Amino acid sequence: MKGQPVYYINGIGILSPQKTFDNDAFLTELSSYHENVLTCVTPEFKNYINPIQLRRLNRMLRIGLTAATICLRDAKVQTPEGIITGTGYGFLDETAKFLRELLQQQEKQLTPTYFMQSTYNALSGLIALSVKCMGYNNAYVSRGLAFENVLDDAMLRLIENPDANYLIGAFDEAAEVQYSASIRETYFKAEHIHNLDLFNTTTKGSIQGEGAAFFMLSGKPSDTTWCVLHDMQFIYNPADAEEVKNGVAAFLQKNSLSIQDIDLWVDGASGDIVRDSVIKELAQTTFKGIFHTRFKHLCGESCTASSFALWLGASIIRHQHVPDPLKLYPEKNPAQLKTVLIVNQYMNKNFSFFLLRQK
Amino acid sequence: MSQRVFITGYGIITSLGKNAAENLQSLIDRKAGYGALNVLDTVHRATLRACEVKIIDQQLFEALNIRTDTGFTRTTLLGLTALQEAISMAGLTPEEVRSSGLLSATTNGGIREFEKYYYELMDPAQRGDFVRFTDTANPGEHCERLADFVGIKKYIGTISTACSSSANTLMQGAQLIRHKKLDRVICGGAESLSKFTINGFNSLMILDTEHCRPFDSTRKGLNLGEGAAYIVLESAEEVERSGRKPIAELKGYGNANDAFHQTASSPDGKGAFIAMEQALAMANVRPNEVDYINAHGTATENNDLSEGLGIQRLFGNRVPDFSSTKSYTGHTLAAAGSVEAIYCVMAIQQQMVWPNLNFENQMPELSITPVRQLKRSASLTNVLSNSFGFGGNTSSLLLASV
Repeated sequence: MKGQPVYYINGIGILSPQKTFDNDAFLTELSSYHENVLTCVTPEFKNYINPIQLRRLNRMLRIGLTAATICLRDAKVQTPEGIITGTGYGFLDETAKFLRELLQQQEKQLTPTYFMQSTYNALSGLIALSVKCMGYNNAYVSRGLAFENVLDDAMLRLIENPDANYLIGAFDEAAEVQYSASIRETYFKAEHIHNLDLFNTTTKGSIQGEGAAFFMLSGKPSDTTWCVLHDMQFIYNPADAEEVKNGVAAFLQKNSLSIQDIDLWVDGASGDIVRDSVIKELAQTTFKGIFHTRFKHLCGESCTASSFALWLGASIIRHQHVPDPLKLYPEKNPAQLKTVLIVNQYMNKNFSFFLLRQK
Repeated sequence: MSQRVFITGYGIITSLGKNAAENLQSLIDRKAGYGALNVLDTVHRATLRACEVKIIDQQLFEALNIRTDTGFTRTTLLGLTALQEAISMAGLTPEEVRSSGLLSATTNGGIREFEKYYYELMDPAQRGDFVRFTDTANPGEHCERLADFVGIKKYIGTISTACSSSANTLMQGAQLIRHKKLDRVICGGAESLSKFTINGFNSLMILDTEHCRPFDSTRKGLNLGEGAAYIVLESAEEVERSGRKPIAELKGYGNANDAFHQTASSPDGKGAFIAMEQALAMANVRPNEVDYINAHGTATENNDLSEGLGIQRLFGNRVPDFSSTKSYTGHTLAAAGSVEAIYCVMAIQQQMVWPNLNFENQMPELSITPVRQLKRSASLTNVLSNSFGFGGNTSSLLLASV
């Protein structure tokens, strides 16, 4: 693997449907949900955002800015060299507020607040404004590959300047609008389930999640390093499971690894009987016998759920521990947790692989 | 050693015309796309005008030979029109298309259709033809549609940084090529007018009810436009392998953040200055070697002052020819960066400088004046294209002749 650039995750801040905002506690208590919508467990925002600013921000911006602030503090970085965000639906509830108003008021007497705060780069701009970062700023909105595009962008920029710190992240809200529009198409389950039972269901659809996760990515380690992000790659619209299997094999080969080198693989199954087909086949073939865990019963499904998985993988490596509710094979604890492979999927169309290693 | 990045094809549809040739002719003929709003259904038809593509969806479907029940939004249709022209101009084979990346930009994707069927979509009990627009509030939806239709498999991504979006697709496309992740990336953006956009900008009170006047002291705001534009970027190696003739080179780019205000540019144009300076430094081009700047020039009070001061600061008393072609196309938002990058490439190909329409009165805060008449037989080697947006985004591209 000589010559291949190495990326360090030097800080994390994450808000999710679990109590993840405290980096010292790793899933010590679980939140369970009896609805199909999982929403963020949030800290006191005023501990992270100044009160004047706080009043002006919508919920998603509050969650996003808080996660970014936790990450900056964790990494002990004041101003990063660049800020890159990814989101699937952005501020869809804000978009809908403006939309409803314009439809109800026949396009008259509208105020711009909802419109302004629905712009997809509102969060990356807000963070730049908050930390006075005049450097690189970009925002991806590529459905199930938005966070993956963010990583590609930052990783290329770090090849040019390994000393730099890029604050990268993803966010999505459990938008009511998305739920209402797409439940008809069974993106979400028709019947109400308990989130922790997600993988015992046999129906179509997933449960809706949300969150904001930020990472400080650098080409240089620091005393706050969580782990190494060794590589990331995605496959768009594979023809069949075979293509994804070949993709995993090529990805491992590119990184001079065999499947036996993987201490833990994390899969992005969503609890959808149909859309999990490729992931299930991977579990029965490529990854047979490899220590295994899943995560979408904790955070729900969203376009950027892979950012939760990245935090999870980094946490497992940092704490050298897989919390009980995550174990799919609790009887087979691996001897070590040094190499973690995440295989995420969104709607069985967007697949991505993240390779994490201990520093 | 990183790869050089060349442009080998482009495609464009705007209010100036449905392809590259029509756009070029309109630029030469000073024919702006500004006029009555009569394709989009909005109450503002009576008071607001815009730069609309005067082709209804049905005709776009027919021209593309696509069935009308496929759920393609107007944004996707405009996008496909431009994307197919770009692929055809570059002469890409189906296998080359498959192995290309696609980076597309939009500020609101299929919101035009989403708002039209909003009440039906929000009622899970309802069934009907509208369900084909289920996911059109997702900005990445159009990009997947585009990729799937033309058969792009290798890499996709959607960018949305407001009005600088498609400039950033070109930047990231070039990054992917320079670092040898991809040999070829098609970059650009697509945007259709919607009630959402028109009312959003109207509520911000930055729309001019008359034809916009970039860099004029009496400017009152922007005109909204729609369109799509895509550019085929290829590595030097790929150009050599395929034997394709490069049209221009994407030599440098810069991206910065003004970090001043959520929806306004800094009064001194610091972000604009940094982005342009970075683009020049990367291209190893000195300010006095820049022959033309296609300005962001939205004709809002705020942008033109900020951008003008940024230009003056960088170029001192040797400011090159500059103009805003938004006086022709209106502001096509996420598509503007790639629309204007194509106008820069056309300027290099034709050795012409496009005029800034509607300029009459000098801004007292600036010592510089945009080009007012079409300049033929100009000598253009290095051209700068600026794109700025909400959220403080400032992007600048340096395009060069080959």
